[in-house]
Amino acid sequence: MEQFLYYLKVSWVSIKRAPLPYALTIFILSLGLGVFFANATFYYQLNSDPLPHKSDKLFFPMTLMVPNECRDCQPPRVLSYTNVQKLSQTDIPSAKAGMYSADGYLRLDTKQAPTPVSIRITQPDFFKMFEVPLLHGSIWADDKARLELILSKPTAEKMFGRSDVVGEKILLDDRDFTVVAVLDDWQMLPRLYDANNGGQLSEADQVYMPLETGYDFNYMSNRQSHTYDYTDYRQLSTQGRTGALNQLQFWVQLDTEAQQQAYRQFMSNLVADEQKAGRHPSAPNNQLVPMRNIVSYFGGESADIKAFALVTLLFLGVCLFNASHLSLNRYISNQYEFSLRRALGASRGQLQQQMLADVLLMATFCCVCGLLIAWGGVTLLNFLWPANSLFGRWDLTLLLLLLVVTFTTSYLVTLYPSLRASFGGLNQQLKE
Amino acid sequence: MIQLKNLSKIFRTELIETHALRSIELQVNEGEFVALTGPSGSGKSTLLNVLGTLEHFDEGDYLLDGQSVKGLSDSALSKLRNEKIGFIFQGFNLIKDYSLQDNIELPLRYRGIAASERKRRAEQALELVGLAARRDYHPSQLSGGQQQRVAIARAIAGQPRILLADEPTGNLDSLMARQVMELLEKINQDGCTILMVTHDPDQARRAGRQVQIVDGQLSDAAMYDPLAVKRA
Ligand SMILES: Nc1ncnc2c1ncn2[C@@H]1O[C@H](COP(=O)(O)OP(=O)(O)O)[C@@H](O)[C@H]1O
Ligand SMILES: [Mg+2]
Repeated sequence: MEQFLYYLKVSWVSIKRAPLPYALTIFILSLGLGVFFANATFYYQLNSDPLPHKSDKLFFPMTLMVPNECRDCQPPRVLSYTNVQKLSQTDIPSAKAGMYSADGYLRLDTKQAPTPVSIRITQPDFFKMFEVPLLHGSIWADDKARLELILSKPTAEKMFGRSDVVGEKILLDDRDFTVVAVLDDWQMLPRLYDANNGGQLSEADQVYMPLETGYDFNYMSNRQSHTYDYTDYRQLSTQGRTGALNQLQFWVQLDTEAQQQAYRQFMSNLVADEQKAGRHPSAPNNQLVPMRNIVSYFGGESADIKAFALVTLLFLGVCLFNASHLSLNRYISNQYEFSLRRALGASRGQLQQQMLADVLLMATFCCVCGLLIAWGGVTLLNFLWPANSLFGRWDLTLLLLLLVVTFTTSYLVTLYPSLRASFGGLNQQLKE
Repeated sequence: MIQLKNLSKIFRTELIETHALRSIELQVNEGEFVALTGPSGSGKSTLLNVLGTLEHFDEGDYLLDGQSVKGLSDSALSKLRNEKIGFIFQGFNLIKDYSLQDNIELPLRYRGIAASERKRRAEQALELVGLAARRDYHPSQLSGGQQQRVAIARAIAGQPRILLADEPTGNLDSLMARQVMELLEKINQDGCTILMVTHDPDQARRAGRQVQIVDGQLSDAAMYDPLAVKRA
């Protein structure tokens, strides 16, 4: 330990000898790292898997069961109520939920100004499938319509000033509801269950309402929906459940290979039967997309971020090259001291330990400067692309990852020059 | 304790081969003070560097305490340099931004000697060279002669059995040179074997034995220096 402190001191003294070139090395490397980090932050968060143990067990089924003939069509990315019913009528999945989102206004009484909220209109299994944490109360017992709402924790706190509000009355679009549960803090990132609507980058919803209640009260989807006829679907309660209004998302949980196989079979049987019954003319095209691939299936990957990732990686490479050039000059001007230490009995191993101390110092400086630059970069990107701002965040894993990158680059920048210095000829340097 | 057998050293560059040392046969016994003389470029420094294991050789063998240094690993050679050999250079080779104390402790650190013991030995060595009061000075605050004495303190702090000195007084005026010479003689009297390269015939005569190198080959110094014969 004492020896290592000594190595650090030696590094420090040699930095003090020529502080400017060293500062320049640090600056160049930090710039490369900072720009790389800023982009890596978004890349990492956008591509992270919010439920890694489950993302290959949750599936988004789609069929081409639509009234019109359609050749070479992909099945619509939103489903009709009838089709969700049909796809639900099986015990194969361990869990299943149809859902959509809508807008509404919340208040405690009619004297209060209404607060706009986003509503997720869904079924009980939603909370189980996506592992939504519950703080108070309990989720609806079944899929039936009921005047019961579940609130997110911030919403409960905003409306009532506290979180334990189970049993309280609240007005949603001036209809009386009872709060039956409050969720704990929850933000699935990315919000993959909304990827078919391109909603994976958005914040979590604030209010949760049973699917049947949503239809009963004519809540239309605030995302995409399509119809295949001229029915007035604003009358959701009377027309929406039978006609071809496609606005629902549908998720099933299939834990085993066997379940997945069985469900695929179930889907093709269903589509074949429906076709025989004359309810849709198109050739079957069934999709069962795992949550893991859902963003790429719907083409939701951000091309900007990808291109930027490549550019920043190249930039880091250029900075690395320049920094190691500077560092080589520094080592060569210190070569004399290396040779002297060798002559006085330092082994190559001991000089390499010296080098590790150099790496440690350089990595520490680069980490601080790099993170500062990255922080600036993330702030800037959040400002330029507010849509991505949920993702401009650092968590522990990411920070550790960045730390590893910093150490690796600092090591690379130091490795070659120090090897050159410690394997250089010995006698030459010591002669005057 | 030092035995060179038919030792040769060739420097190869893309253009030329320089035979810096040719078939050197040399035996140095414990406690000797050997002066190495010879014209510039004759291979004196190279010989000293080979003896100090700073330089490899091409042919022959080098036995130190009866053991060949051929095939020793880098860490074994470093240990040998660190423990058995002390170096003194013409240009002092002190680290400018370290205190005298830190300069002298440097080889002891690589040996893993504890801080208190390092301090004790460094003080002792500075005492011997008469600079004990200046241990917190930096080299630039000293005269050339004083700097060379610090370098000597550094070389002997590790209590080496061999001291290799390459023109230790080459950069010093005659008064300072004499002080350094007296110091080396004292160290030699305490039992340390010394090999010293020098251009100064007076200094060479004060050594117990003279060896001359011409063009990479040893020639019997006695042939050129009848005084040495008388003394021997
Ligand atoms: N590293 C080296 N590469 C090539 N030639 C060298 C090298 N070191 C010394 N020489 C050559 O070896 C010969 C002996 O050099 P050196 O031992 O330094 O002589 P001296 O110390 O007696 O003046 C010289 O001709 C010198 O040019
Ligand atoms: Mg020389």
